[in-house]
Amino acid sequence: MTKTKPISHPFLLLLVLIAHAAMMILVALSFGITAEVVKLACIVLTADFIGSIILQFVQREACTVDTVLLLVIGMSTIYQSCFGGLEFALKHFAFGVGAFLMCQASYLVTRNPYRAERMKPLWYALFFGLVAAIRFLTGSRSMWIDLGFITIQPSEFVKPVFVLICASSIRTQLKKASFLGIHFVPDNLLLIFCTGVIAVLQWWCRDLGSLPTFLAVAGFAFLLRFCYLREKISARLMIFLILCVIAAAVFAWKAAPAYVQERLHSDIWADMSGTGYQQVKALTAIAEGGWFGKGAGNGTLIRVAASRTDIVFSTICEEWGLFTGMMTVILVLFLPASILTVPPRSYYHSGLAVGVAAVFMVQMTLNIFGSCNLIPFTGVTIPFISQGGSSMLASGILAGFLKAAQAPVLTDRSTAKGGA
Amino acid sequence: MAGKQKKMQRPSAPQLDISAPRSTRRAGKWTALLLTCFILALIYLGYTLISKAPLYMAKSGKTTYGKVLDRDGDVLFDGSQPLTNYPPGQFADVGNLVGDTSGQMSNTVVAKHIEELANYSFTYGNEAGDATLQTTLSHRANKTVYNAFGDKNGAAIAYNWKTGEILVCVSRPCVDIAQGYANLESMPSGSLLCKAFFPTVPGSTQKVSTLIAAYEAAGVTGVNALEYTCEGSWVNPNGDAINCHQAYGHGTQDLQQAFENSCNPYFAQLVQSGIAPLSSIIGTYTRMGYAVNGQKAETLNLDGITINPASTKLSDANNFETEWGALGQGKTLVSPYQLMLWQGAIANGSGSAVQPYLVKSRTTPTGETVELASVRRTPQLFSAQAAQAVKDVETLNSTHHYYVSFDVYSCGCKSGTAQVNDGGREYENSLLAGFCLDDRAPVAFCILIEERQSWDITTAQLARILLDAVSGIS
Repeated sequence: MTKTKPISHPFLLLLVLIAHAAMMILVALSFGITAEVVKLACIVLTADFIGSIILQFVQREACTVDTVLLLVIGMSTIYQSCFGGLEFALKHFAFGVGAFLMCQASYLVTRNPYRAERMKPLWYALFFGLVAAIRFLTGSRSMWIDLGFITIQPSEFVKPVFVLICASSIRTQLKKASFLGIHFVPDNLLLIFCTGVIAVLQWWCRDLGSLPTFLAVAGFAFLLRFCYLREKISARLMIFLILCVIAAAVFAWKAAPAYVQERLHSDIWADMSGTGYQQVKALTAIAEGGWFGKGAGNGTLIRVAASRTDIVFSTICEEWGLFTGMMTVILVLFLPASILTVPPRSYYHSGLAVGVAAVFMVQMTLNIFGSCNLIPFTGVTIPFISQGGSSMLASGILAGFLKAAQAPVLTDRSTAKGGA
Repeated sequence: MAGKQKKMQRPSAPQLDISAPRSTRRAGKWTALLLTCFILALIYLGYTLISKAPLYMAKSGKTTYGKVLDRDGDVLFDGSQPLTNYPPGQFADVGNLVGDTSGQMSNTVVAKHIEELANYSFTYGNEAGDATLQTTLSHRANKTVYNAFGDKNGAAIAYNWKTGEILVCVSRPCVDIAQGYANLESMPSGSLLCKAFFPTVPGSTQKVSTLIAAYEAAGVTGVNALEYTCEGSWVNPNGDAINCHQAYGHGTQDLQQAFENSCNPYFAQLVQSGIAPLSSIIGTYTRMGYAVNGQKAETLNLDGITINPASTKLSDANNFETEWGALGQGKTLVSPYQLMLWQGAIANGSGSAVQPYLVKSRTTPTGETVELASVRRTPQLFSAQAAQAVKDVETLNSTHHYYVSFDVYSCGCKSGTAQVNDGGREYENSLLAGFCLDDRAPVAFCILIEERQSWDITTAQLARILLDAVSGIS
C-alpha cells in the first residue's frame, strides 16, 4: 500500500505566516508603520506561533482544519481591527482564540464516534436545556440573554448540539421500534421532534433567520440515513422528495408572517433610506471598493449598523476589494471542503461533517447573498469572520467536528459489534 | 506501549472505516454538491456585483454621469457639468423625453439608462471616462417640430418605418431641464411627461383599427363594397343616436368615401351590422395590442421607456358604448406611439411593424462603443391583406384631402377629432396618424394637438413641417 506523504506542519505554519504578513504589509501601506500596526502584527503572528505549538500537544493527523482555522481567525482579526480605522479588535481576537480552543475541545470529545454516540442523551439534554434557556431566559421574544457584562446568543450554541443530534451511527439506525404496526427508528423520530421544536421556537422568537440552517442540517442528516438504508435511491423516490421540498418551500413562502413577506417582496432601491438602507449601502460599498478596495481603514460602511456582522462581506469588499472578499469566503469553504481530501472515517462522522458543511454554507449563503440583495436579508453571521462571541465559539465547536471526522477511528471498547 | 496500541488502531488514510464506506463516500458527495452549488452561486454573485456596480453607484448618487447625444452628436443631456452651462432652450424640446438625473421623471431615457450613463467602471472606479448614449433622434428636426406647435400643447412622434429609428418625439408643454425645478409648482400640467407615450382618446384615427378588424373578418372586397346611408345621425337598435360631424349627412357612401368623410354613422352601422362580428373585432383589437374589456395587454417598451397599451370596451354590437368606442371616442384610449406603430405596419404592407428604438449605441466609460441598433419586427399585428387594403384607403384619403399639405410626398393618413372629458372639463383634440412612402422621409407618424381651434395650426400642417424636417435624414 502506498502511503501519501503529508505536508509538514511547519510548512503549513509558514504559509499562514506569509499570508498574515502580506496582509499586515497592506495594512502598513494604508496606516504607515505605527505602534498600533506593529501591535496588531505582533499579536497575530505570535498567535500563529502559539497556536501551532498548542497543536503539537493535540492530535495532528488532520492538520487542514487547524491550519485553515489559524489562517481565518488571524485574517478576521486583521479585518475587524482595520474597519474604518485601526484599533486592535481585542474582543474579537479573544473570541477567536476561544474558538480555536473550542475546536480542540470538541475534537477531543467527538473523535471517538462510539463515545460521542453514547453521549447522545447528554446532547439531547443540552439541546432542550438551551431551548428552555431561549424560551425562559431571553428577553421578550428575542434570542439574546443579557448578563449585564456580556450578552449570549444561546441559539448559536444550539447549532453544534443539533449537529451532534443529527449524527447517527449505523447501529442506532438498525434499532427499530414498532407502534401500532408501524416500524420506525426512534432516533429518527426524536430528530423530527427536535427539528419541530426548533421551528416552533424560531417562529415564537420571530427570528426565522437561522431556520434554513437547522432545516438544512436535518435535511442532510435524513439524506445520509436514507442513503445508507436504501443503498440506492430510485429516481421516482428522488423526484418525490424534491417535490416535497418544493411544496414545503412554497408553503413556507406563502405562510410566512407579514414582516417576512415584506422582506421577500421589498424593493431596496424604492426605499433606500428605510428597509433597504443596509443593503443599498452594502452594495454601494462593494461597487466603491472595486477589485482591490479602498485600502484598509478607508471604508465608510463601518458607520452602518451591522457592518461588522450581517453585512461584513461588503465591509471587507469595500476596504480590501471584491477579490479579497471572495478569496476570504473560499478560504472559509476550505473547512467543510477538508472532508473531500480526507474522507470521514465513520458513518457517525459523516453525519457530523455534512451537518457542519450545511451550517457553514447555509449561513454564508444567507449572509452574503442576503446582504447583496439576491435573497431576503436575514441577520446571520459568516463563521469566524463576523463579529460575535457566541457565533465565533459555536463555529469553533463545529470546526472541531470536522477535525474529528478526519481523525483515525478508535475501536469501541464496550462492544465489538456494529459500525459507527 | 502495548496497551496504547490496543486502544488505538490507526488505519492509513485510504482505508475507510469498517462498515459503511459507501455512506461515508456519499457524505463526501453531498458535501461536494453543496460546495459546487455554493461556488456556482458565488460566481453568479460576482458577475452580478460587477455588472450591476454602475447601477449601484448611479442610484446612490456616488458617480458623475455622461452625455446623451442625438444622431448627429448634438447634446441632449450632459451629466458631467451643470446644464445651465448650455444656452437657454437647448433641451426645451427633449426635457420630458430624455430627462435628467434629478429623479423628477422616471420614464425617460436617462432614468431608464442611468446605469449605462454612470461614469464608473468596476475596474477603474470613478476615474473612468465619459459614458455616452447616442440616440436616433434628430435634435434639429425635433426642435423644428416643437417650435411649430407655437402656443399649442400636444405631441408629435415619427419613426423610420423601414429601420425603426425614432426621429422625432416632442411633447408640449415640456420642462426645460437646464432651468431646474425651482418653479415646479407653477409649471404647466404635463410638463414632466411625454404625451406621445400616454394613451389618449384617439378620435377617428380609431377607424383605422375598426377598418382593419372589418377587413380581417369579412374580407377586403366585401367590406369595400359595403354601402350605408348617413343622414347626419343614426339611431341604433337600442334607440341611441350616433351623430355625424356633417349635420346634413353624407348620403349613401361606400367604404372609401366614408373613410374620407370620417363618417360616424357609416362605421357605427358597420360595427352593428354583424358583418364583422364583435368577437372578431375583439380578436383583431387584442392582436393589435388593445386591452379589451379590462383584459390585460402587454405593456409596450421603447428601450426601457414603458408605454401603456391601448384600451377599449366592446360589450355588445347594439350598445352605444361599443359603437362609440369603435369610433375612437368614449372609453377608447390609444397612445400616439401606438398609433404610429400601427401606421408603420400599414406602410410596409405586412401587418407587422419594424420595432421602434431610440438608443442607437452606447459608449462605456472605458471608451468601448457598443452598437445597440438592430432591426426587429413586432409580432403580426394584423394580416398583410388588411394592411395593404388600409394602406390603399389611407393613400387615397391623403391624395384627395391632403394634396396641399403633402404635395411633394406620397403619403397616407387618417385624421381624428377626439372628444375629451378631463375631470368634467370638455374639449376636443386633433389627431393625425399616417405614413410617408417617399424615400426621402420614410416615416410613420402621429400628431396630437390639444384643444385646437380653427385658427390654429392644423395637424396636417404640422405633419408637413415634420416631413420636411426629417427629409433626407439617412
